[in-house]
Amino acid sequence: MKVSFPYMGSAIVYKKLFEFLEHEVIMPPKPSQRTMDLGVKYSPEFACIPLKMVMGTYLEAIEKGAKVLVTSGGHGPCRAGFYGDTHRNILKSLGYDDVEIIIFDAPQDNWRAFFRNVQKIRNGVPWHKVINRMYTLYRFVQKLDELEKMVQKIRPYEVNKGQTTQIWNQIQEKFDKIKTRKQLYKVYEECKQMLLNIPTREVDEKDRIKVGIVGEIYVVMESSINFGIEEILGNLGVEVERSLYLFEWINDNLVPWILRPKRFKEIIKKGQRYIKILIGGHAVETVGHIIDFKERGFDGIVHLMPFACLPELVTQSLIPKISKEVDIPILSLPIDEQTGKANMLTRIEAFVDLLRNRKRGKTKEVFIDNIQEHVQEERVVMV
Amino acid sequence: MKEIYIGVDVGSVSTNVVAIDRNVNVLFKTYIRTNGQPIDSVKEGVKQLKETLGDVEVLGVGTTGSGRQLAAAILGADVVKNEITAHATATIHFVPDVRTIFEIGGQDSKIIIIKDQMVVDFAMNTVCAAGTGSFLDHQAERLKIPIEQFGDLALSATRPVRIAGRCTVFAESDMIAKQQFGFSKAEIIRGLCDALVRNYLNNVGRGKNLEAPFVFQGGVAANMGIRAAFERELQTKIIVPEHFNVMGAIGSAILAKDYIEKTKARTNFRGFDAADIDFSTSSFECKGCSNRCEVVKVSMDGKVIAMWGDRCGKWTNSL
Ligand code: SF4
Repeated sequence: MKVSFPYMGSAIVYKKLFEFLEHEVIMPPKPSQRTMDLGVKYSPEFACIPLKMVMGTYLEAIEKGAKVLVTSGGHGPCRAGFYGDTHRNILKSLGYDDVEIIIFDAPQDNWRAFFRNVQKIRNGVPWHKVINRMYTLYRFVQKLDELEKMVQKIRPYEVNKGQTTQIWNQIQEKFDKIKTRKQLYKVYEECKQMLLNIPTREVDEKDRIKVGIVGEIYVVMESSINFGIEEILGNLGVEVERSLYLFEWINDNLVPWILRPKRFKEIIKKGQRYIKILIGGHAVETVGHIIDFKERGFDGIVHLMPFACLPELVTQSLIPKISKEVDIPILSLPIDEQTGKANMLTRIEAFVDLLRNRKRGKTKEVFIDNIQEHVQEERVVMV
Repeated sequence: MKEIYIGVDVGSVSTNVVAIDRNVNVLFKTYIRTNGQPIDSVKEGVKQLKETLGDVEVLGVGTTGSGRQLAAAILGADVVKNEITAHATATIHFVPDVRTIFEIGGQDSKIIIIKDQMVVDFAMNTVCAAGTGSFLDHQAERLKIPIEQFGDLALSATRPVRIAGRCTVFAESDMIAKQQFGFSKAEIIRGLCDALVRNYLNNVGRGKNLEAPFVFQGGVAANMGIRAAFERELQTKIIVPEHFNVMGAIGSAILAKDYIEKTKARTNFRGFDAADIDFSTSSFECKGCSNRCEVVKVSMDGKVIAMWGDRCGKWTNSL
């Protein structure tokens, strides 16, 4: 089967998944302006941005020859649950009758449907192989995420601007070539060493700024839609951590219930302090992670939300209250096809100034030190 | 020779250039329409500065606004800062005990919350323009009243009238309805000023703790009708600083001054000849990796002097 999928975050993972199932994989291109244009053109105007971007990605994948599109469904009362069907209808109306969409809903919602889908994409690969390879994939994701977390902690202090990003690109290319578990562990060690070899400058603990990124999964995970916010923050000298990593998502959603790490449950419990009922999307997790980041000593939160995303709108309306009670600055950034990069950068830079002030006290001194450190770094600006 | 610091604020609507001395006295200010030509407007501003002040020694240059990077490349700036920090810096200088800054320009508006001379919170409008100057422009056009007379007319109104000003479409139909009810133009304009302030406070100021002293700046602060609407809404006096429409530029000049004084660095300023130099910008998509960055290139007399937008540093570091 010529299989493709939505591009989100480290897309090589999905590619590996289908390679392991011996499909012919059509790698969707990383979302670009063209993806956006296509998506916007063929989606309902009031749909939120992930639906539009994924629509664009599907059309580009189909252009490249994809016949089957595999995606995950939504969970709880938010329109994300209808994404798959909406996409299917739009594709049908465009005349792509031969393209199939397979939607994986959360297994606990409907085990039977889940296994029917698994059978479909298993592609006749014997079960023992499937299980072995899925385990390899599981570790693959884990290792890749570990490296990405290192990247996010090294980038703010790199001596040669851009080096960490360059190495991260190389790491992803290396991972793309991995076939077996043995290779995986070897490549992982190599890559880790590459990262540790990056020259960094010593920064005092009191001058380190840490920001947690929370929000709806697509805009948090996919850098092309959030303007590469992790790099922007990194280049401004800020350590970042996301609320979502693929490995944790798999643990929380796909690993059998009893084997799941407790962390997720704790996050949900923290979130339920403010949102008691299930409202869909990632609202409860978003709130839970805000509190969790604060407890772990982070200095600020960037909250990403697709414009008009209902669950995140609820979160956003709670933010002034949470920010005050938990005592942490939170910057909400709505993301839409009309969001301008210049405007967004202004907010992010001002937010980082604010966090530094807060941490160190007086305004002027901080601005100036900040300027000295980052004079050449504010280079990610658009005209 | 006079020693000055230059501040430049390049926005989508206007480009402001100021010069201050060591004691932050404003020696020169100008306000130019950007008209989609930021390079030309920056050059024009600096040329005017030179013509007005004559021989000066420039000790430092700061830029801000959405075109700050470009302006910095053209002039050779020492400090490049975002508008929020720049605005706050200037306001704190002129009104040291300020707690809340209202900044309303043509397209953008902001609220900045200050505590102990420190920015503690801020917000900017995103997609909705119903709390900005362009909203008023549209409505003035509809009513066929020059925007300059808008304020005075609003003040002459005696009765309050509520206009549904959530966006231009609603405002228009509501204005027509209210005129048919017999409200005068002056009263309707007062209603529009109230609507703008209401929208601004609801959209941009949502969830913020607004505390006095309030400072109101940006182009719209010239409008007496809006000032009065703010005072009605907040039930207190608001301060409009003398240089209300160039505060961003002043702030960036102050930041440049502080930076130069603290580090004793020599300025990067290219000199006033920059106004005669031929600058051009272009952009290209790098195909070096799957990121496909949109890289911006600024050239001076054909030679590349600045590049940005690359995520890996490949181009930025190549200079
Ligand atoms: S500038 Fe660097 S990160 Fe961007 S596309 Fe080129 S090689 Fe990739």
